[in-house]
Amino acid sequence: MIDFVVPSLGADMDRATLVGWLVEPGDVVKKGQIIAEVETEKGVIEVECWHDGVVEELVVEPGPEKLPVGALLARIRPLEGAPTPEPEAQPPTQALKAPPLRPTAREVAPAPPIRQLAHRLGVDLTRLERTGPGGVITRDDVLRGASALAGQGSPAGIVPARGRKKASPRARWLASQLGVDLDSTSASGPEDMVVAKDIEAAPATTLEPEDKVAAMRRAIARSMSHSKREIPHYYLATHIDLDKSLSWLEAVNAERSISRRILPAALLLKATALALREVPELNGHWIDEEFHRSEAVHIGVAISIREGGLVAPAIHNADQLELGEMMELLRDLVTRARSWRLRSSEMSDPTITVTNLGDRGVETAFPVIIPPQVAMVGLGKVVDAIVPVKGSPVAHPVIHVTLAGDHRVTDGHRGGLLLSTLEGLLQEPESL
Amino acid sequence: MTPQQARQIIFDVLTDIAPEVDRNTVDDNRDLTEQLDLDSMDYLTWMIGIAEQTGIDIPQRDVSEFLTIATAVTYLVEHHG
Repeated sequence: MIDFVVPSLGADMDRATLVGWLVEPGDVVKKGQIIAEVETEKGVIEVECWHDGVVEELVVEPGPEKLPVGALLARIRPLEGAPTPEPEAQPPTQALKAPPLRPTAREVAPAPPIRQLAHRLGVDLTRLERTGPGGVITRDDVLRGASALAGQGSPAGIVPARGRKKASPRARWLASQLGVDLDSTSASGPEDMVVAKDIEAAPATTLEPEDKVAAMRRAIARSMSHSKREIPHYYLATHIDLDKSLSWLEAVNAERSISRRILPAALLLKATALALREVPELNGHWIDEEFHRSEAVHIGVAISIREGGLVAPAIHNADQLELGEMMELLRDLVTRARSWRLRSSEMSDPTITVTNLGDRGVETAFPVIIPPQVAMVGLGKVVDAIVPVKGSPVAHPVIHVTLAGDHRVTDGHRGGLLLSTLEGLLQEPESL
Repeated sequence: MTPQQARQIIFDVLTDIAPEVDRNTVDDNRDLTEQLDLDSMDYLTWMIGIAEQTGIDIPQRDVSEFLTIATAVTYLVEHHG
């Protein structure tokens, strides 16, 4: 029997809630098929199954419960005749456990206002469940502790953290999980307080965009703080002449209908993926104090969300894609990211990330590496610059390309090799 | 196709990509990507959507006709068979 579990969804996400099943017991499933949907701080994510087989049992019902990475969701019986996969036959995405965030002692200690609140309510900090990032005690943890002490209901004198209505901590938590608006829920508790059963009776709605953005903001905060705290970044920058690449692309696009047109971003991603073959020590993950090189090149693409926020899902095996395929995948990825619908494999396993801020008019980007990756490439704006051609000054389109590298894994010399290889490749666009 | 019909299609596709766009406050004569913070992928997706809705393929050399709402409306009216 094969266990279908909550997949790793990137270094900064360790929990998800099950939104729904797309299969029933008895259904035949194929490797790569999307069989469940989970919700995380980065939106609803479609989870693929990694084996051919038959759904034996759905272990978890959809609901508000937060499930940790690795939690059993379903059991799948391999098709008859097919060998039961060894445990290591799991996809690389699951073998690659994100390194635990190692918070410093200062971060684990709750902030002074939380301590004061706990003291005021007579709550023992050492006995609380810690739900905050990095195991820190949050205000809600204290309130839950206090309400457990008091038996039930909100302790007297507690002003609700948000909203105008009074609510028990349990009701507040449930409301946040179910996306129920507390202020519009009728209250049946003492002193006109909203209690858990009111929330359960309220019509469930999906999270409002503002809530999604706020949750995503928290995920970014965790990941980027981790990066800035732990990764000794070095930065390199260079100019690359794009005259040949863009002229070639224009000729290619002249022959294509609009739906098959290729943007320079696709060309730059492909060239970056190929350049990584020359400098493989920039492609992989830093886990448990050592570098794990990845044979496959899965390029994460930083995509900004219109409402605010950022995701960087992967384009798999980017070095092996035809340019047209790369463009199609990129367009599909951007569209799904912006409608908050990415797949688990895309979230979990980028081996390096590229950010293309040049599209927004930024001339040079200085990226912050997304852990556990060890490098990130920044593409700036394409500008006209005077470059020497056979000794004469000529105006050519030029792009600023930067590399942020993890000094634990590589030095500037190797990083520089990536940029010079990229430059060489972009002078021969037809080879891409 | 009338200018009103062209405008309707242009905005229908646009609000799929950028739902917050209010068609009453968009300046017809200003660069769209700048005005609405569209990136090159949004911009291409918008033109592909218009091409699908109208059946007009937009060749590479005509992309500059879609820099503003006003020029895009004119283009669609002139090229719709």
